Amino acid sequence: MKGMFLSKESVVPFIEHLASQQKVFAPNKKVHGSITFEEVNDANDVVLNYARALLSVKKYFLPQRETLLKYKLDDNSFEKQEIEQVNAIFLGVHNYDLQAVLKLDYNFKNNNPEKNYLKRREGAVFVGISYEPDNFHFSQSVGIDPHNTNGFDLFLHKTEEGFVLEVLTKSGEKLLDGFGEISEFQGEYPRNENFNASLYAPQSKLKEVFANSYDNPIWKEMAEKCVGCGTCNLTCPTCFCFNVEDNVGITLKDGSRDRHLDGCMLRGFTEVAGGEIFRDELAGRMRHRIYRKFKYISDITGEPWCVGCGRCTIFCPAGISIVDIVNRLVSDYDKQQVLNEGQMTSVLD
Amino acid sequence: MKPKVAVFDFTGCEGCELNKLNFENELLDIIAHIDFVEWREAMDDKADEYDIAFIEGSISTPECVDRIHDIRNRSKILIALGACAVCGGMNAMKNQKPLEVAREEVYGKDKDLFPTLPALPLSAYVKVDFEIRGCPMTQQEFLRVVTALLMGKNPIIPDYAVCVECKLKENECVYGNGMICMGPITRAGCDAQCPSFGQYCIGCRGLVSHPNKEAMIEILTNHGLSVDEADKKMSLFNTENREGGLK
Repeated sequence: MKGMFLSKESVVPFIEHLASQQKVFAPNKKVHGSITFEEVNDANDVVLNYARALLSVKKYFLPQRETLLKYKLDDNSFEKQEIEQVNAIFLGVHNYDLQAVLKLDYNFKNNNPEKNYLKRREGAVFVGISYEPDNFHFSQSVGIDPHNTNGFDLFLHKTEEGFVLEVLTKSGEKLLDGFGEISEFQGEYPRNENFNASLYAPQSKLKEVFANSYDNPIWKEMAEKCVGCGTCNLTCPTCFCFNVEDNVGITLKDGSRDRHLDGCMLRGFTEVAGGEIFRDELAGRMRHRIYRKFKYISDITGEPWCVGCGRCTIFCPAGISIVDIVNRLVSDYDKQQVLNEGQMTSVLD
Repeated sequence: MKPKVAVFDFTGCEGCELNKLNFENELLDIIAHIDFVEWREAMDDKADEYDIAFIEGSISTPECVDRIHDIRNRSKILIALGACAVCGGMNAMKNQKPLEVAREEVYGKDKDLFPTLPALPLSAYVKVDFEIRGCPMTQQEFLRVVTALLMGKNPIIPDYAVCVECKLKENECVYGNGMICMGPITRAGCDAQCPSFGQYCIGCRGLVSHPNKEAMIEILTNHGLSVDEADKKMSLFNTENREGGLK
């Protein structure tokens, strides 16, 4: 391939060059202790070698909390919140997180477009980076290898001496204008594709598996371990459910309509008017969450709606693994197939 | 007419009550909409009937039992204020030993002068209309509840785990720092204050409404606690008598 080479020493000047043009958001460990995307004020604070951020870049387009409108009770008037483009460079994004954003684009563009998300999403520039899969990443099983550059403007492939910088779009190329500390690169970059975790089957087969797993005992078994804290939902880069609340001020004169992320693992999520909760059991909620990743949307799009980032597993306080659940469903399905064939044969005999 | 509001204290540290007197920015707005008619900590007046009674503390003596029934009979809406009133609170730890032993330890030779009962939440004796949780209650939640009632609506009280608020705030999980946290099973609503400042959650807002206690015990034992220690962690703010109670 043809590309550019960025040495280790030139990384900080590269980030500063980006930050001189536009706001940059990048992984940082100083603000929260965990890896989180933050605005770059000092290029030295950027962490490029990391496993995964607690929340993906989704948070910039679908914030954890936002005010939708403000109203006045005395004259019954309201004003919608002005939504602005995020208009920034997202640096050091792992490709599963960008794939998740592309999936959210699908969810929010179709049927009933989600204007706030789409508005914020315009003009975002993505500079990706390769990563070394840990024991929880399984992106390759859902079709995303660590060097997949789909959707990026620039991509940094890690090498021993620095990075091979791949230019993918015109906006990416423009970001490099006036930056001298890169050289031509000709050849191959080292590919790191060793995933420790993987699913036993591709989506084409999972479609069959999930069509036959609704009554699998695993949902009840897993529900016995689960505390229903919702961590899996809230850290998932493809989860997008939210709740809307009205908050009136103590003066009773004005208030705001706010929304915050919600999750299908939380008991109150399916509470409807009158107090009915139609997914009252943890087992049913667990099944619903996994079906949202591999069946309900996937049957329409043909793709898994999981990007293999491993967040729901590594952050789960009870240690429940999505890979283990899916693989158990696959092996149970396979066993059932063998049994069915056996029965067929005995009938034919 | 402004609703008549009273505040009462039972067994507790009175911190939740005090918290309300600390509403420096909002107190004028609050009293623009409600009339405080009885509040021992703040005024001398008394009244016969109340539209809303806020009750702090747990019920732990025979005298408390009579008083809480009396207040309930004279109140349209009764709200449990803070962990002691809602869950029994810290003082419910005394329920873990025989009452006589507890009485002797505290009052020694004068113990006969102080009749005592197991410390229980208000709901063990009277109907509680709404709960404001926490040790102490948060001011924001108190304001939200008062606002909702003034508007004739049911207040929205979170019934999900503290983990939700931690994740929304991108807090690093304190389990990763070797701490034992009750967040996964404790009701949110505090904006995950303790974990946000690098501390673990001790569960002061009580358990979520449908807790999977066995799963939480497994989490705690996987982090090195014995089953007994795990159980103690969980009951710090949750008296076992809570479910069923003495209703």
